[in-house]
Amino acid sequence: MVSSVKVMRLSGLPAARALLINLTLRENRSKYKRSALGWAWSMINPFSTMLIFAFVFGVILKIPPPVGDPSGLQNFGFFIIAGLLPWNFLAAGLTGSSASVIGNAGLIKKVYFSRAVLPAASVLSWLTHLLIELSVLSLALLVAGRIVFLYLPAAIVVIALQFFFVLGIGLALAALNVYFRDVEHLLQILLLLWFYATPIIYPVERVPESHVILGFDVPIRAIYDLNPMVHFIGAYRDIFYDVRVPSGGEYLLMALAAGLAMAAGMAIFRRLEARFAEEL
Amino acid sequence: MSVPAIVAEHVSKRFRIYHERNQSIKQTLLRRRRGVYEEFWAVKDVSLEIPPASTFGLIGENGSGKSTLLKCLAKILVPDEGTIRTNGSISALLELGAGFHPELSGRENIFLNGAILGISQKELNRKFDEIVSFSGIERFIDTPVKNYSSGMYVRLGFAVAINVSPDILLVDEVLAVGDAEFQTKCAAKFQELKHSGCTIVVVSHAMGMIEDLCETAAWLENGRVKATGKTSEITQMYMDQVARNTGTPAPEPPPADNGVASPEDAEQALKGAS
Repeated sequence: MVSSVKVMRLSGLPAARALLINLTLRENRSKYKRSALGWAWSMINPFSTMLIFAFVFGVILKIPPPVGDPSGLQNFGFFIIAGLLPWNFLAAGLTGSSASVIGNAGLIKKVYFSRAVLPAASVLSWLTHLLIELSVLSLALLVAGRIVFLYLPAAIVVIALQFFFVLGIGLALAALNVYFRDVEHLLQILLLLWFYATPIIYPVERVPESHVILGFDVPIRAIYDLNPMVHFIGAYRDIFYDVRVPSGGEYLLMALAAGLAMAAGMAIFRRLEARFAEEL
Repeated sequence: MSVPAIVAEHVSKRFRIYHERNQSIKQTLLRRRRGVYEEFWAVKDVSLEIPPASTFGLIGENGSGKSTLLKCLAKILVPDEGTIRTNGSISALLELGAGFHPELSGRENIFLNGAILGISQKELNRKFDEIVSFSGIERFIDTPVKNYSSGMYVRLGFAVAINVSPDILLVDEVLAVGDAEFQTKCAAKFQELKHSGCTIVVVSHAMGMIEDLCETAAWLENGRVKATGKTSEITQMYMDQVARNTGTPAPEPPPADNGVASPEDAEQALKGAS
């Protein structure tokens, strides 16, 4: 008894980690419970979306897929899926984490635990999806004769940076959503806008340097590049389409985006979490 | 004398009773405020010192601020004024089975709920059989908990929660669950915890239980401490007042629900609105 108390006190951090793992497992286990295909849905969703986009842009609009450099790949399906998977991680991670605190109101009102674990578990759960999907993509690329597995270390860094980018925004959204329930709905509109402002269904090279709008010469590309997801998707494409290591500059920009998102997200969450139990 | 388990100094907790609540950005911008509310102190200037390895009872009418105070001690609510210092790990039994996921099995929920309550996985592995046998639902342990009866649900919740082995255990009215046999088991478990040096704070309307379990008690009225001292004296004072108020020489305290809007009602209404 006494010894177990001591063990518990010493293991405060592992306890939080155990909670995080358990909540992530809860999300993963319950996500596809009672659906006949189960986890296969995790594959079917991006695959069917990719087919739709590939048909519309490759077959109807006849946009030629860019040639992977140095991979030599020229396939609209592979091109889209390499951008779509990390995008889905962002969209699902943000949607899930923004609802995570409200969705666990009963828990927050009755048990004390580190509240940040809730959005973190939600993002982690979608991270496991991303990892599985990327593994399948890597296998498919292997069948197509491109050995992506050699670029695993580069990919791990990109995935980790995107995880913190999503988690930072997710923490802020989860906390703000407690006070303003519009956040969830606003997010869906912003995600739609964000989707088209990110090179997922078109190559980034098609974005013009500048464009005359209402008589003003607007530096489109410079503004476009402010979107952090441009750099994340760019890095994923480097690895999973071009099959090369992203440049150091891209890594720096991604690290900056992830760092800023985490700093802002944690500050907002810390400020608001004290009153969660009352506001829910 | 050793370090007290809990020291509360001038603790106050304020709630907002909303008359109009704007939970969307549009409403907030249009009306330029998040709502119209009245402030109301559920706990006001409470100072308590609870010695280690003791058992402490909190009594009072519905709405006297007992549960709010307990939630402050459990860190679920943050007091607006005053400080609370605790020495040792805390676990709160406010609702049994909070955090159970209906689609997951009893087995999966034991690990999930244990993690929420702060039990390490190693500890859970070790205590798993004990938890299952205490709950008495061995046969249904791999059934999703949504198919459990409410009795089974709380029994499993209690079995997990009681195995947290904290330094300080906060209990809010949860003993009134389960059948007679289970209640006896619970009472025995509390005695066992008490003997092993756990500090226990109990909120209850059951004077018999408070007297059996607690050495000292505090009587809260309208958020303030009316009296503290030996349990038997405090419960006697409380029951005398109840008897005076109701005009009957009641030896048993009634379930003090007089229908008057109380802080707890307000808190409930507030939550119901959200």
